[in-house]
Formats: sequence, C-alpha cells, structure tokens
Amino acid sequence: MVNEEIYNQRYDVIVIGGGATGAGTARDCAMRGLKVLLVEREDFTNGATGRNHGLLHSGARYAVTDGESAAECISENMILRKIARHCVEETDGLFITLPEDDLGYQSTFVEACGRAGIRAEVLDPEEARRLEPSVNPEIIGAVRVPDASVDPFRLTVANVIDAKLHGAQALTYHEVVGLVVNQNRVEGVKLLDHGTGRTIEVHAEVVVNAAGIWGQRLAKLAGVTINMFPAKGALLIFGHRVNKMVINRCRKPANADILVPDDTVCVIGTTSDRVPIDTVDDMRVTDEEVEVLLREGEKLAPALATTRILRAYAGVRPLVAADDDPTGRSISRGIVCLDHEKRDGLAGFVTITGGKMMTYRLMAEEVTDLVCAKLGVTAECRTAITPLPGSEPEAAAETTPRFGRKAAVGRHGTMAHQIMADTMADRALVCECEGVSVAEIKYAIEHQHVNSLLNLRRRTRVGMGTCQGKLCACRAASLMGRLSGNVPQAEAHLGEFLDERWKGVKPIAWGNTLREAQLTATIYQGLCGLDKALARKEDKQ
Amino acid sequence: MRFHTVIVGGGLSGLVAGVTLARTGKRVAIVSSGQSSLHFNGGSLELLGALPDGTAVQRPLEAAASLPEEHPYAKIGVSRLPQLAADAAKLLATVGMPMQGDVSVNHYRLTPMGVAKPAWLTMGDYVTLERPDVLPWNNVLLVNVAGFMDFPVNFVAHGLREMGATVRVEELDVEPLAARRASATEMRAANLAKSLVSGSAVSRLASAINEVAGDNDEVVLMPAVLGLDDDHAVTMLRAQVSKPLHMVATLPPAVPGARLHTTLRHYFQMLGGTYLMGDTVQRGTFEGNRLTGVHTAKLADTVLQADNYVMAGGSFLSRGLMANYERVYEPVLDLDVTAPTDRAQWTRYGVFNQQPYMSFGVSVDRQFHALKGGEPLDNVYAVGSILGGHDPVKMGDGTGVAMLTALAVAQQIIDN
Repeated sequence: MVNEEIYNQRYDVIVIGGGATGAGTARDCAMRGLKVLLVEREDFTNGATGRNHGLLHSGARYAVTDGESAAECISENMILRKIARHCVEETDGLFITLPEDDLGYQSTFVEACGRAGIRAEVLDPEEARRLEPSVNPEIIGAVRVPDASVDPFRLTVANVIDAKLHGAQALTYHEVVGLVVNQNRVEGVKLLDHGTGRTIEVHAEVVVNAAGIWGQRLAKLAGVTINMFPAKGALLIFGHRVNKMVINRCRKPANADILVPDDTVCVIGTTSDRVPIDTVDDMRVTDEEVEVLLREGEKLAPALATTRILRAYAGVRPLVAADDDPTGRSISRGIVCLDHEKRDGLAGFVTITGGKMMTYRLMAEEVTDLVCAKLGVTAECRTAITPLPGSEPEAAAETTPRFGRKAAVGRHGTMAHQIMADTMADRALVCECEGVSVAEIKYAIEHQHVNSLLNLRRRTRVGMGTCQGKLCACRAASLMGRLSGNVPQAEAHLGEFLDERWKGVKPIAWGNTLREAQLTATIYQGLCGLDKALARKEDKQ
Repeated sequence: MRFHTVIVGGGLSGLVAGVTLARTGKRVAIVSSGQSSLHFNGGSLELLGALPDGTAVQRPLEAAASLPEEHPYAKIGVSRLPQLAADAAKLLATVGMPMQGDVSVNHYRLTPMGVAKPAWLTMGDYVTLERPDVLPWNNVLLVNVAGFMDFPVNFVAHGLREMGATVRVEELDVEPLAARRASATEMRAANLAKSLVSGSAVSRLASAINEVAGDNDEVVLMPAVLGLDDDHAVTMLRAQVSKPLHMVATLPPAVPGARLHTTLRHYFQMLGGTYLMGDTVQRGTFEGNRLTGVHTAKLADTVLQADNYVMAGGSFLSRGLMANYERVYEPVLDLDVTAPTDRAQWTRYGVFNQQPYMSFGVSVDRQFHALKGGEPLDNVYAVGSILGGHDPVKMGDGTGVAMLTALAVAQQIIDN
C-alpha cells in the first residue's frame, strides 16, 4: 500500500514507537482483530531496543532486589524461547563470585531465584571453569541460570512482519509532531514524513504511546505529564565471541557486570547514569564509562583485556521517575501502563513504558488489554502461544544461497526460504564477515522497511562483523543505489553509515581499533574520495 | 649480517630509499612485514592536493611554500622539492613504471567512486583528467566484469555523468572470470588479475569489449583488474580493443598499487638488495646516540648491523605507529612521537572531519634524524608515513611525502 492510502484509513489504534514494545503492541492489537497503524520517527529498534546487551534475562539478576520483575522475566524468557526461537540462542548463564565478593550472597541469591521460579544450580568453580573456559579462573563460586541471548533487531522486525500479516500498516521515518485533540479526547496524530517533509493527520480511536524515553515528550504534546527517568547505559562490543555463556556477577546489580555472547561478538555492560532528558537524542560514550566497562569486564573474562573492541554505544532506559536515586538501580524495572483518561481526563490516549526489552510482549499484552477494553473488543491475547514469523516449526528451503545460508537462516529463521537466490548474481556475498548475500539484501529491502544502509545493517548485520563495513558497506551502498536508481542518496547513506560507525569507534580509538579506523579513512576518503562525492552533492543544493 | 643500510619497512618509502642506495652499490637490507599502504593505491602518486585549511592546490610546488614548518616538505626545504620530484619521476621510469603527469600542475585521477582527485603522477594506462569537473570525452562506455562488486559501477557512472558525459554501462560475462564467481570470496581485483595473464584470456576479454562497443563510444573505461605484476596484459588488451581503453581503480586489494610495489621490489632485488619479506624488526641495540643493530622475529640470534638505519614502517595502518590505552608509540625503537598524552585529543566526532591522529608521527630533526629521549640519533632516519606533521588523507600528499623524504634521506646518506 502506498503511503497516501495508509494515511487515509481510519484506525482503531495508532501505536507510536518502533521498538520492541511498539512492534509487539502492533502485533497483539492486529492479532485481536484491530485495525492498526504503527509509526516510528526513524528506523525500527533505533532507541533502547537496539542499544542494550541482547540478553534474554532469566530474571536472576532481579531476584534479590525485585521479585516481581524476576518472575516476569523468567515467564517471558520461557515464552520467547518458543515463539521467537530464531531470535534466541540458548546459552545459559553463570553468576560468578570473585574473591573480592561476598560468597554469602550466593545463598541469598539462590533462594530468591527459587522464590521467583528461576532454576538456579550451584556449581563447583572447577565445573564452571570447564563449562565456560573464558571465565575468570579466580572464581570462588558459580550458579548456573537459564539466561540466553536474544537478537532485538530480529525480534522487533519479526513482530512488525507478523503485525502486517494480520493487516496492520507500518511507517518508518514518520515522526509524531502533534496529537489531534478534540474536547479532551485524542483522535489521531499529526505525522511529519521525513522523506517528503509533509505533515499529515491520521485518525484513530485510541493512540498508544510506546515511544520509550521519548514518551515524555510525546505525552507533553498531548498536554499530560509523565516524569521519565532517563538512565543512560553504555556498552562495549568486542570483535569476537570470547564467552559461550552469559557471565554475570553474583552480587547486588552494579556497573558492567554482565557479559553476553551475541552472534559472532560479545557485549559488556552496562553503566547507569542519570542524564538530562534533552540529551537522549545523541548519546555518546565517555572515556570514564569506557574505563569502568573495561576494568569490570576483565574481571568477568580476563581475555577481554587483549580482545579488540569493535565499538561503544549507549541506550537510555525509559524508567518512570519515582524518587531521587541517582543510580537508577533501586527503581523497579516494572511495567507502567497509564490510562490517561483515568489519570488525566484525556480519553483515547494510553502510555506503555518502564519494563524491559525482555518483557516487551507482556507490556504489549497489558496495553492491548486496555485498548481492547476501551474499544469493547473481547478477543484474547494469543501472542504467548503463537510463534513469530521465522520461528514456525518448519525447515528453511534450499533456495537460500549456499554461502551464508546458515547465517541467513539464523537471521530470518523459516522466513529464509523467501530469500530467492536463483541466479549467480543473487548468490554473491556482499558481506563476508556476516555471510550476507545479494539475495538477502534484496529480500530485506522488499519486506523489511529498509530505506538506508543503517536500516540494512540492523536487518541483516551487513557491516556489523569484524571488518565493520570496510568493503561491504560500499558494495551494499552500490547495490542499494542500483535497486533504487538514486546514486546520490546511496552515497549519502554510505557517509551516514561510516559516521555512525565512527561515533561508536571514537571512544575506543586505540590499538587495532585505531588502526582499522585509519584503514577505513584511507580507503573511503583517500582512495575513493567519498568525502568529495558528498561535497559535490552539497554544492548543488 | 652487516649492511651499509638497514631499512625497516618495505612499502613505497622503504623501497625508494632502498633502490636509491642500492643503485650506488651500497649493501642494503629491507625488512618488510608484507603490509603496505600501496595496496590501497589506485595508480597515482600525489604531491599536494590541498593545504591544511582545505584549500585546493593546483600548483603543488608553489603551494608547498605556504606549508607549516612541521610538514615534511618544509623540513626538506621547499627549494629542494623540484629536483627531488624530478628524481622521483626518473626513478619510476628507470624501474619500468611509465607515468603521466607534470610536477608543476596537478592533474586529476578518477577514483572508484567516480570522483576526480588531484594527482602528480599516474600510471600510463589509467584515466587522467586535466580538470576536476570536465571529461575529455562526451560518450563513455563503462564496462564491468559481471559479479564483480568491488567496482561500484553505478557510482562511477554517476560521477562521469556529473561531469557531463553520456555513459553506457555494460557487464561482461567472460570466461575464465565467470568460473571465479562460483566461490563468493574469489571476485577480488587481485584474483581476477591472476586469471587475466595469458594471451587467450586477454583476447577473450578484448572480444567481449569489442562486441559491446558501439560507434558512438569514444573511450572504454574498465575496472583495474589486469596487470598485477607488470603491464603486459594491459598492453595486450589495449592493442586488441577497438577503442581507446583506460583503467579505473577498484576497491582494495588495488591492482595498480600492488604492481608498483612488485616492480620496485624486483628492481631492488635485481640491484642486489636483500628483501626480508614477512619478517618484522622487533628491537634495536644502542651505543650512545647510535643504533648498532636490530633484531627481527625470524632471524632469531642473527643481528642485522648497519652504518645507517631508515625507519620506514608507515603509520598506524602498517603498524609503524601504534597506540594503546595510554599512549601513541613507535613499537620498534620507542622513538619520540608527536602526539598529545590526552587520548581524548587523538580523535574528533564526525568521520569526515580532520582527525588529529592522522598527523601523528615520529619526531625528527631537519635532516630527518629520528629523536629518542629528546635527542636526535646519529644514524637513524625516519621517512614516509611514519612521519607526522601532515594529514595524507585530507591533504593528498602521502605518496609524495613517502617518495621525497625517502630520496632526500637516501641522498644524504650517500653524501655522508
């Protein structure tokens, strides 16, 4: 459907925010028979959804301090393993005790896990070292829990695809710049299309604010107040997968105490610092954060000290402010679902926030229940029992490219059979690190809302591997330019891609990372003159 | 083993210094890890493309007069540049690398993204332009090898059209290149070049080009996927194609840079030079201000001794310079390096902004003696990209600095 037709529909519900929560809400609403529009101001997963560990929490981390969150986590953990198996890698996790930690905490921890329904098995340190050779050999205690890793990009896109299969519409690069309010009732949204610069009004019975940390700003547009608590979390990605299990510290949650294996890499994080709400659009990782992450990360797995760091990034947790705790950790990660009709006398507007990426489905269920109640719809939630596209019990067909077939199946699950690679040209690999073929890129452009190289990276992992887009970024940009027929745009997207990479590299630019940065500059600016190609475009404007 | 000069680094600057010294009969050894920024070179050498403030340079020798004193050209002395540049061009002609270009005024090379960038000398079979925005042809046939993704042909076509040309793009599916496509990692410029050596392979390519060439096409441009070791294949192809044919550089591994590297290395070895490939110098032994020997990874107990040592290990990308969490350093001799101790000052946000680390390098005096502990070493020189004081990416002077500092130092060693 072209955008014009999408704008002109009247919807039951408009969901604002293309993170896991918004996508999950759109799916749930659509599965219950509602007419749904999902809008996202940039790309899917651009906010906190795409800027975390990629950890499928067992809940053990919260067991001692927040039993309710812990119970939610383990329940969702078990659900996601079934409905999103192509997004989850069942790694298990360790909670380790180091000589500097109190071993007495371990029994408190195991008991609390038991209360929350989390399997927690105390291991002999020797056994733990055997299971996870990268772990700090100094450990004096270890507990095994059902942690896992999850790909939030894949998870979110699978939710969007399923929402659309159930009749929903989705628009990326459409920002809500105002709400249509009529006599204390929200009747729609004013959308700015970043592609054309046009502003459009779209109407719905109910508008759901699932905009994460940006939900505060959105509520303000509706004339209601939510006090968000922007807690920045910084993380580092390492160039290869050091650990095979998630490694946590068995102590009260603190900075940089989780190391998660994700695909070909691993991630250490996070820090937690309150930041001003007006800085959340441009999160930069500081030198101090890098120092803390490295110092604490090496305690979990000493090999990190000599492993190349690929990049640094930071997300902002959309917690709802409750008190003045500057660390943000004593606040519950609990789900906050606000009915603004009851709370503020504004009908047709609800907010879903707080929570975690981990509990996105439950958050979606709660807010969809509320939306359905408002609309008088009685359909039951089926998201906990219905597999996402890609996770159905069906084998991927052999039409996927030979090179990178495993990788493509890993990324798209059973949807990989839709990747048609009948010709030699389609089977060619664009990104060798991550095994991304021409066919997979074409598939992503056609089916997954890919407008730019940065979007493509999130859908296919192109340029996310150890070379960080040294050659594949140019190949992919050229391919996208060929498919769209718009070369200047493809070149501009290549420039944006490299700048986004650099933003993540700058805080960690030493050692081989600095060397690789110079190599990239030598290729793209020295040899190719991309900077001049982009300047040529600016001159014309 | 005893030599007149040991050169640490076998890229452009190390080889130019080595050839210059070996031609006078000196016993020279080059230790090379095998990595060189020449593998990212698109077939041109550049003297000076822009001033530090970004102003484009047309006449590099004249513009060099305004360079700041830390620039290697300023250290050489601007009055010596014309002679050194002439020597450099002569050296390339001698080793068998015919180049186009005039030192007094920059011409322009065509990049793999279809952009014109200033150049001083360009290999004979590559595209050169007199002006950055005008092509010498109205109708261009741009061909690519089917399935070869390291030549973004639509970017090149767009760039040429921006310069006013009418461009036709054709894909060639030619044996034996097509066979390479079965394996996804084989479609690289250097691999294709290895398949385009024999007369029959080149003839098939020529026929394929002639088949698609139309009457209106004034010129054929193609990606540089021939001539890895020498220009035989390119010469054969040009003789058989019915239109004038020129090469355009590709993404790395770059065939023209590899050819320049190989040609210089063969010439150096022909002169009797010792080229220790795949080895790295790890440390040196000093007596006062003199280096008395260097130790390599592979030679175990054998020390390389020489009267003079030339440090030509390149910048970060070739590991001539390194950085860790605390500092920027020169890894072999721990020479002094000009770089701030505050890591936050090494880089800036904005990938296309000038990045301070690009200008870091080994500290030298006006004769290019390397400094250690604040004092110049009597018999250790630094040349090429290991030198700081300029940003080769932004100023377009990397290969010029490499050649001219290498020549200046080699001549100084000979004169001593």
